[in-house]
Amino acid sequence: MKLNIEEALRYLGVGKPIPEKLRRQAVQMAERLTAALRPKYLYRVFPLCHEADRISLPGTQLVLTGETARRMLAQCDAAILLACTLGAEFDALLRTEQARDMAQAVLLDACGSAWVEAGCDAAEEELAARIPDRYRTDRFSPGYGDLPLALQPAFCAALDTGRRLGLYVTESLLLNPAKSVTAIIGLSGQPQMAHIRGCAYCAMRQTCQLRKGGKRCAS
Amino acid sequence: MHPDDWNHKLILLDGATGTVLQQRGLPPGGQPELLNLTDGSLIQLVHQDYLNAGSQILYANTFGANRLKLAQTGHSVHEVIGAGVALAKAAAGDRAMVALDMGPLGELLEPMGSLTFERAYDLFAEMARAGADAGADLAVIETMTDLYEAKAALLAVKEQTSLPVFVTMTFDEGGRTFTGCTIPSMARTLEGLGADAIGLNCSLGPDQLAPLIAQLCEHTRLPVIAKPNAGLPDPIDGHYQMGPEAFVQALLPCLEAGASLVGGCCGTSPEYIRQLSAVLKNREPTPRHYVSTGFVCTPTLPLPLDGVRVIGERINPTGKKRFQQALLEEDFDYILEVGLQQMDAGAQLLDVNVGYPGVDEVSMLPRVVKKLQSALPVPLQLDSSNPTALAAGLRVYNGKAAVNSVNGDPAVMEKILPVVKKYGASVVGLTLDESGIPKTAQARVDIARRILEGVVSYDIPKEDLWIDCLTLTVSAQQEQAVETLRAVRTVREELGLHTVLGVSNISFGLPNRPLITLNFLIQALGAGLTLPILNPNQKEMMDAVAAFRVLSGEDKESRAYVERFAGAPQLSPAPSAAAGLTLDDAVMRGLKTEVGQLAKQALSAGEDELFLVEGHLIPALDQVGSGYEQGRLFLPQLLSAAQAAQAVFEVIRSSIAQKGGAPVKKGRLAVATVKGDIHDIGKNIVKTVLENYGYDVIDLGRDVPPETVLQTVRQQKLRLVGLSALMTTTLPAMEETIHLLQTLSDPPMIFVGGAVVTPEYAQHMGADYYARDARQSVEIAREVLG
Repeated sequence: MKLNIEEALRYLGVGKPIPEKLRRQAVQMAERLTAALRPKYLYRVFPLCHEADRISLPGTQLVLTGETARRMLAQCDAAILLACTLGAEFDALLRTEQARDMAQAVLLDACGSAWVEAGCDAAEEELAARIPDRYRTDRFSPGYGDLPLALQPAFCAALDTGRRLGLYVTESLLLNPAKSVTAIIGLSGQPQMAHIRGCAYCAMRQTCQLRKGGKRCAS
Repeated sequence: MHPDDWNHKLILLDGATGTVLQQRGLPPGGQPELLNLTDGSLIQLVHQDYLNAGSQILYANTFGANRLKLAQTGHSVHEVIGAGVALAKAAAGDRAMVALDMGPLGELLEPMGSLTFERAYDLFAEMARAGADAGADLAVIETMTDLYEAKAALLAVKEQTSLPVFVTMTFDEGGRTFTGCTIPSMARTLEGLGADAIGLNCSLGPDQLAPLIAQLCEHTRLPVIAKPNAGLPDPIDGHYQMGPEAFVQALLPCLEAGASLVGGCCGTSPEYIRQLSAVLKNREPTPRHYVSTGFVCTPTLPLPLDGVRVIGERINPTGKKRFQQALLEEDFDYILEVGLQQMDAGAQLLDVNVGYPGVDEVSMLPRVVKKLQSALPVPLQLDSSNPTALAAGLRVYNGKAAVNSVNGDPAVMEKILPVVKKYGASVVGLTLDESGIPKTAQARVDIARRILEGVVSYDIPKEDLWIDCLTLTVSAQQEQAVETLRAVRTVREELGLHTVLGVSNISFGLPNRPLITLNFLIQALGAGLTLPILNPNQKEMMDAVAAFRVLSGEDKESRAYVERFAGAPQLSPAPSAAAGLTLDDAVMRGLKTEVGQLAKQALSAGEDELFLVEGHLIPALDQVGSGYEQGRLFLPQLLSAAQAAQAVFEVIRSSIAQKGGAPVKKGRLAVATVKGDIHDIGKNIVKTVLENYGYDVIDLGRDVPPETVLQTVRQQKLRLVGLSALMTTTLPAMEETIHLLQTLSDPPMIFVGGAVVTPEYAQHMGADYYARDARQSVEIAREVLG
């Protein structure tokens, strides 16, 4: 598992050329973080049931509506539900660092975002090894495109994330602990095109700080 | 069985309820407790199966029957728990005991989430009363990952009912819960709070649980419970893979390690329990070996007292103007900063004293405890003579704390020791009594003995008493230094107790105080002092402790010592802040230490406080701000400069506090992250930057109800309020807050920001300003407040 420093600095809105001192600080912070804790993840494969205007996952109370899910999962007969989190320990580290030094805290926050993504990548690698004969779609999350955030409670219930990962959904549909990701990955018998990682599909496109500065979060 | 059978016999618990129900078609994520009302015969059948398999304690189907989880169902806690306990009792008859089962509430507690400790207590109290009313024989709190939540539940059962109570928590293979709680911390805290048995359930299979059970048994005298899963679930399909025979075989090491109450969790069924029952028949509990060492902890930081442990003394208003001011202004951030500095300097335990005229200790102590514990992992020693304040502080403390102090006066012991016992704290005993401080070492040791007798009479373990032989000022009572050291030696050697001394007091009134203090510290450590209370920011004191640990053998292979000193310059050169560096430069480059020194120099050279701010600080910050706006500098650099500016403000604040004048503040505003939103780093960034421009920022925190914002604005007569929201789902709460503020006859200016807020939406909601970033919030504050 490797924390991508460039990605962390990108979350902070640091443009190129990256000031050398800042990069050094980010590297140090990343070392501290990755030594202190590792992302934890959990996944499970569910069959998909395509209905007229929605996709359900039998055995769960999850029903996927909207264009994003339809398009992403068009050729899939099953999907992986994935949850990954840095846990409450990260939030505790971040609270301490905010009291100590806000400048370091924003670096830690950005490194945390990159670290939880690294956890998702590691989970996907593990999956690729476990189910080598299946093609996977890009992973996508509630809140992305028109996939509603309101899915979070049923999503987390399906994986029992509270008991098995210490991951909860608040009434206002925030994941808690803060550095957590839930994602869906479609499984298909045929190769899947890369669809996402483009601003056009992103729910943040109106407000994204990177876009305002003419930048993007993925190359 | 009898209620105390678990103290000396092997007891068979039951297996999973949820798994069995899911096998019968209940979808995951459904609410199995509702079956108590809709399909009681099914539930009773599950209990019956476990009873026939040999279970001696049946867990009623009440795990998630709390008010939060039942909110949408139209059923009350009493209804669901009443039915659940009745079904288990109907199955059990007189052949088994029935436990009220209480699981996690399903929301994270403060400081991780916004559920308060007090609210969690109320939710559990409701369950506990319902269980007792329905005739449960005991309560079981299980699958906890947060020690704080387990504490709230345990207190609720103990205060609201007379039921015996078990607590089991869920750990990963590394021996931590999801919230980072360790096994020693769990064991010592829950035993201290009066649990009847403790243990581990869920999360792992029996094979992975055994080493953790062994560790748990070393840290508790209580009966230990093991209720593991049927191995780990298959990651692809979620099914548990370990069969009953393998499960029972793998559970044997848990029994050998000392577990005496066993059963199964996720993935197990009556067949597992039946096979387990056969194995238990001819066995006796394994004899246990508890090592009684002194101990305090937070969930993540167990602190066994097996060496010198430094207690930081700085959270105390006595003689500290700046700290007094912080207490009176309820400036909790400052108190946290004092704690953090000491922790970073090597203090392992922090003394917390908030007693000052005009401060209500009973309400202040718990608030300070919560604030410190929100960000610091070190254990705390609550320092007060007011038993009500101590009880309030200990109640909300997460872990096992220490209390400073009792003394040999029976009236004092009578007031303080019941509080210490109830909350399972350690306690400092001062060797004085109603007739004052004795002059001789022998008389002080006698008082120590009396305190020990008192402590034991309250059933507080001996190792939880630490004796303070009292440091007197050597310039006033010279012969007393030797008496104190003699008393320390005797208490340590003859009574075998830990010893505490506040060392700094020794040198009062003498020149070169650190030299005397340091010498006294070293001699006291040699005499057997284990818990020095000192100022850890004085490097020479901590150096002496590091050296002592090498000589005493505590610091194995001198590792910590080498780490502390290797590579460090032997003689630190005098800091030469002035070497060509101006205050403005230092602020821009974010050089905190240098900035502070330059500010002090400027003030002592006669510069005016206000000019320092307006003439140097603000222009320097503006220059950094414009670099940030142009994309030449980035957020961490902006914040570094802001924090360097903070150092100047600290210097100015101290200087003014010394003179007794009014603080330099530009204008006051409040910031809040709106209701429902719990991620608040954005708001904290804005606060940091605004404060360092000299604004007085009232931080209302996160998840703030609109009414709280309104009240604050009204009480403080604020002209400016900043609101932050991170998620689309909390924008309605932002809008509601704005509308509520606008019902005031003279509403404040409102600025809004956060990831999902746009200028258009800000206008639509009726906000006066949209702040793109922290830098822009400064412009807004300037425009509104000047």
